[in-house]
Amino acid sequence: MPTEPILSVRGLAKRFQGLRALNGVDFDVAPGEVFGIIGPNGAGKTTLFSCLVGATRPTAGEIRFRGERIDGLPNYAIVARGLVRTHQIVRPFKEMTVAENVSIGEYFGAGGRRRADPGKRIAEILDQTGLASRARALAGTLSIGDAKRLEIARAVATEPYVLCLDEVMGGLNPAEIVAAMSLIRSIRDSGVTVLWIEHHVHAVVGVSDRILVLNFGEKIAEGKPEVVMRHPEVIKAYLGEEAPRVV
Amino acid sequence: MSALRAILVNSLLTAGLYATMSYGLAVIYGVMRIINLAHAGILMLGAYVTLTLNVRFGIDPLVSLVLVIPLFFGFGVVLYVLLVKPLPQSAGGASIESLLLLFGVWLVLQNLAYAIWSGDIQSIMTGYTMRSVSVLGVRVGLPGLAVFAVSAASLVVLEATLRWTYLGRAIRAVTQNRDAALLSGINADRISAVAFGIGSAFAGAAGSLLAMLYAFTPDFGRSFLLKAFCIIVLAGMESVSGVAAGAFVLALLENVIGGYTAIPTSFQDALSFSLLVVALVAFPQGILGAFGAWTGRRRKLA
Amino acid sequence: MSLLRRSARFLVWPVAAFAVLAAAGPALLSRGALNDVWNTAFAVILASSWNILGGFAGQISIGYSAFVGIGAYTTVLLALAGINPYLTLPIGALLAALFSYVVGLPTFRLRGPYFTIATIGVSEAVRVFASGVSFTGGSSGVRMPAGSFDFVRNYSAMVLLAVIVVALSAWIKASPFGRALSAIRQDIDAAEALGVHAAKYKLAAHALSAALVALAGGLFAINFQYISPGSVFDFRLSLTIVLMPIVGGLGTVTGPVLGAILFSYLQIKMLSIPSLRDSYLFLYGGMLILVMLFEPKGLVGLLARLRRAPSAPSPARPVSHAD
Repeated sequence: MPTEPILSVRGLAKRFQGLRALNGVDFDVAPGEVFGIIGPNGAGKTTLFSCLVGATRPTAGEIRFRGERIDGLPNYAIVARGLVRTHQIVRPFKEMTVAENVSIGEYFGAGGRRRADPGKRIAEILDQTGLASRARALAGTLSIGDAKRLEIARAVATEPYVLCLDEVMGGLNPAEIVAAMSLIRSIRDSGVTVLWIEHHVHAVVGVSDRILVLNFGEKIAEGKPEVVMRHPEVIKAYLGEEAPRVV
Repeated sequence: MSALRAILVNSLLTAGLYATMSYGLAVIYGVMRIINLAHAGILMLGAYVTLTLNVRFGIDPLVSLVLVIPLFFGFGVVLYVLLVKPLPQSAGGASIESLLLLFGVWLVLQNLAYAIWSGDIQSIMTGYTMRSVSVLGVRVGLPGLAVFAVSAASLVVLEATLRWTYLGRAIRAVTQNRDAALLSGINADRISAVAFGIGSAFAGAAGSLLAMLYAFTPDFGRSFLLKAFCIIVLAGMESVSGVAAGAFVLALLENVIGGYTAIPTSFQDALSFSLLVVALVAFPQGILGAFGAWTGRRRKLA
Repeated sequence: MSLLRRSARFLVWPVAAFAVLAAAGPALLSRGALNDVWNTAFAVILASSWNILGGFAGQISIGYSAFVGIGAYTTVLLALAGINPYLTLPIGALLAALFSYVVGLPTFRLRGPYFTIATIGVSEAVRVFASGVSFTGGSSGVRMPAGSFDFVRNYSAMVLLAVIVVALSAWIKASPFGRALSAIRQDIDAAEALGVHAAKYKLAAHALSAALVALAGGLFAINFQYISPGSVFDFRLSLTIVLMPIVGGLGTVTGPVLGAILFSYLQIKMLSIPSLRDSYLFLYGGMLILVMLFEPKGLVGLLARLRRAPSAPSPARPVSHAD
């Protein structure tokens, strides 16, 4: 790529007691792009995110973020550097309000990137994610759609350079999916690079600049959506030997 | 070297007892993710019940196991149904509420013992308490040998049950993956009750066995609870063999410290425990977990 | 709003309370009543300090008698070496904080119940150590050097400390530090995933509460003049320290205070009723069981429930998303 990649992964491997969840994955992410990650269940996508943010220690490989090697660093240190993720199964702090939840990300994760007026910033984020009306509600009382938005809002509050979204569309209805896609675009437009695991292939293909396809812990394709989705290996991985009607 | 042989033999004998004592804690944790602090109290009650059976009815401690095991199995089930089941459980168990509740039960059991039997130091003497026998050239007390035999037998029975009965497989399934087990139609409530029963039965039996070897007061459960905890942390809690191995390591450690240093017994506990903490820092997955996958999956404690 | 102005609201009640108890107390109350207030203040310090780690951060340690002992022994031993007893207090606090840090480093890697059991073990180890080593006087304990003893001064210090600790708790709870602790308690991994360095905050909460408890221990030693492992490193003391905030209301500011008052009252009663004293384990255990089964939020929760109009629906129970 013409510019220096903001995130660069080489030979990433993760083994769990004999199960090879990731088996030597390489890819680069350009700053400002939306980078989709797809693959069948069990392909290792969430494990990949866990390794990137330091929630799990990779068994092998190198992860470079903004030129610095970060594999092996703990989660909170990587978040402080501007790389954050959301969880596939949401984990709100149920006894805190929505605004307090977001403030945790803002106060502890943004580090030197904290804005001058935190209150205003939090209000902005709540607006952007459509949670402004629920700001004082206890996070434990949220619907699943709102809870997913809170998960994103908290992560955005850490003022990341790179945001990793893990299946944010799971369980959403079509209207919510459209809203989510537009939210992701707005996050990208604010200058954040987005990595995005998703099962809704249509959505990913619609928004992503480039896509990575994983299967059995290995990369089977990487590149522009149109090209990747025609790749025979990708077709085989998802559907056997039939060609999918993607476009 | 005969000193080394003595240490090994004694460690082996003690390990059997420690393993029996620890398995009760392990099975409850495995099935319900609850640390049963009442374990210490049940251990202690087992000792006292054995004492009473011995003193009042002249029943030999080994024989009294026939009564103790079912009695405490029932006790465990009742404890579960009355106190543990009603608890509002957070998804995934291991809640602070259950820990503290069972801690409360332990305190109550202690008080019960003080009230019924007083705080005096008790011990059980039988016709063979003083007799000893030579094993592999080492003199060991007959009670110690008997205790080892019973412990070993119980663990073999346990392993067989886990492997070959429906109940055993259900327990292993719930331990490894609760959700999948429930989806397969296993009745979580019944298995939890049974697990509590088994855990208490082992604790009570271990108490009986301990009473044959040590003098005891209502407070003595604490030190053994800590040992059981050390063993579980060292070994993980899903396999009988893991617990047995951990028990052996601890027993060995204690015997080595006792045999080669002049540190008094009360310090030994503190020392074993400190070494455990050091080991935890070095091997967060438990020492056996660090030795790889052949002993099976390790549960993360941290 | 400047820090001072923001904190001012936390200071009004405590200053008033202190003024009343410390100034008016000795003038108006009998020595017996002053003793009761002293005992209650001691309990409040222990309960509220423990609550910072146990209630706010959710790390239940049943080993806090170790810190009481460290404070007490530091004071006595340094006083015997000629140092003014009140000057030894900060040293005891510092030592307790250091010890808590050393203990915390490995044990905070453990989670939930494992951490709790580890704390039981550590406190046992400390007690055994103190009983066995000679410079601490062994199991027979040590005595303060002979000197004039001013009860009113000690009483005022204890009351002042109690007031400070409660005000500090309130301040912490509302501060970012308090929010971090709360996040750690609710979901430590999610907290770390948002940039909270959990170990750092746990260690800080541990050290702070250990230091405060040690200060109380030092004042205890000055008051009673004689301490032994049995009196300050006692498991029963660790137990009481845990029970007060739990019965009162874990994680709140008033809960530990209520619990402390309750237990002080119980202890006074126990002195005069032998049968109650013998059944204290039954009492404590029973209380734990009842609280956990029926009202895990303790007295504070109970009061909140009673205050809600009987016909009003209870507040929405947090919906648990698939964990």
